[in-house]
Amino acid sequence: MSDETIISQLKKSFLFRGLPNEALIELGRKATRRGLAKDEVLMRKGDVGDSLFMISKGWFKIVTEDARGGELVINQTGPGETIGEMALLDRAPRSATAIASSEAEVLELKQDAFYEILNQRPDLALELIRSFSSRLRFSTTYIQKAIEWSQKISAGDYSFIENTLTVSRAEGTDEDKASQLLSAFFQMVRNVKDREDQLKQQVERLILQIDEARRKQEFEEITSTDFYADLKEQAKKLRAQRAAQQDQK
Amino acid sequence: MSNGKIVSIHSFRGGTGKSNTTANLAAQVALAGKRVGVVDTDIQSPGIHVLFGLDENKMGKTLNDFLHGKCSIREVAFNIGENAADAEGRAKLAGKDLWLFPSSIRGREISQIIREGYDVNRLNEGFQTVLKELNLDYLFIDTHPGLNEETLLSIAISDVLIIILRPDNQDLQGTAVTVDIARSLDVPHLVLMVNKAVPKYDFNDLQKQIADTFQAPVAGVLPLSFDLADNASRDLFSLRYPDHDWSKALRGVTDVVLGVR
Repeated sequence: MSDETIISQLKKSFLFRGLPNEALIELGRKATRRGLAKDEVLMRKGDVGDSLFMISKGWFKIVTEDARGGELVINQTGPGETIGEMALLDRAPRSATAIASSEAEVLELKQDAFYEILNQRPDLALELIRSFSSRLRFSTTYIQKAIEWSQKISAGDYSFIENTLTVSRAEGTDEDKASQLLSAFFQMVRNVKDREDQLKQQVERLILQIDEARRKQEFEEITSTDFYADLKEQAKKLRAQRAAQQDQK
Repeated sequence: MSNGKIVSIHSFRGGTGKSNTTANLAAQVALAGKRVGVVDTDIQSPGIHVLFGLDENKMGKTLNDFLHGKCSIREVAFNIGENAADAEGRAKLAGKDLWLFPSSIRGREISQIIREGYDVNRLNEGFQTVLKELNLDYLFIDTHPGLNEETLLSIAISDVLIIILRPDNQDLQGTAVTVDIARSLDVPHLVLMVNKAVPKYDFNDLQKQIADTFQAPVAGVLPLSFDLADNASRDLFSLRYPDHDWSKALRGVTDVVLGVR
């Protein structure tokens, strides 16, 4: 793999994006080449990871297990992509299994080699911290937004989906992941709102029903008596008297 | 005769919260500095006296005595402003000009009047007399549900008729007939009030629907309230809990009454 290829490949990872080219070339030189046959496992979910892999040739499927223990492919990745960079720092168990779906070749960078470079170049460590810090800030912004929106949703205020713009991106960048989260989130809110609106429509309107024939019949029964005719006459007089009295004042 | 207004409060069926509404409306109007009378013409099932803290021991002459010619209407008047300190809400009425004309709660007297009937004209004379003698601004009449003779009389002589209904179709049907009667009797101001509305309805929408159906103004949509039921007529709710939604909506109705010219 040429130096340029290694540089451009490592720069795809947020971790190395800010590092100077000569540091990336050095990292590339410390990496070891490893060939894989089709169906060979590169890393297994749950293993303690201590290296990253830069794919130079061939394709890998990233798989996990479904509820019944079957293989579930969650992603496909190929030449130019980097797998498992976080393992260089945290040695956490692998979150998924990577299996070569064709004959493949990777460059493996071990944690020891990575640490060796950091020991020689503390400025690189600082640059890595900057990368993390910016990623953290990016995530925090979205978490804060998500909290704010969740509070609005729980208060029944969905107006923000009309006022917030989401942009879909084609690349697999952090921004892309964030915008995917956003559109999933907004889709959820729209669905919730639609369901709620439908439900409101169902319960909110009382169907007013008046039996007009019965209304007329009851009215006639009451008003057809002598008492009623007399009452109507008296009420009329009384009102006239009171109106006359008011006029005098 | 005086310039005072007769405000009848009616509902076609029982259980609409009519007495509670009448008592609270009268109290709010008195609180606004008006001279107010409240007559309980629900002779068959009187109840409004409880809201004003009046029991059998305190009750003197009643509307029944007046209707049987045993006393003058003036003697029936019970001054709430001087007898209101027994509950937190009612205590706010101290010194206000508010008189209650209670119906008898003695079983014998109730059955007698049901059996023998009475002259509704005498009832009318009583109304006119107290309006004049107590120089009332408003005389509220708590009517008996349905459309019997004394209720028809109350409607006929009203300046303002408030019909209370719950948002259900049985109340709607009866209200329709009452509205027709009120129009036939030329009641100058016909106002509807919805009580015991459950929160699943959009109150604004409900108000508009009912106003459109009857072509009459809806002075307020008051919520069904557990708190009100819990108060169990022990006190005047809107005075005791002025910030409650029910109380706020009731004051809206009060404003409509006070706005009638």
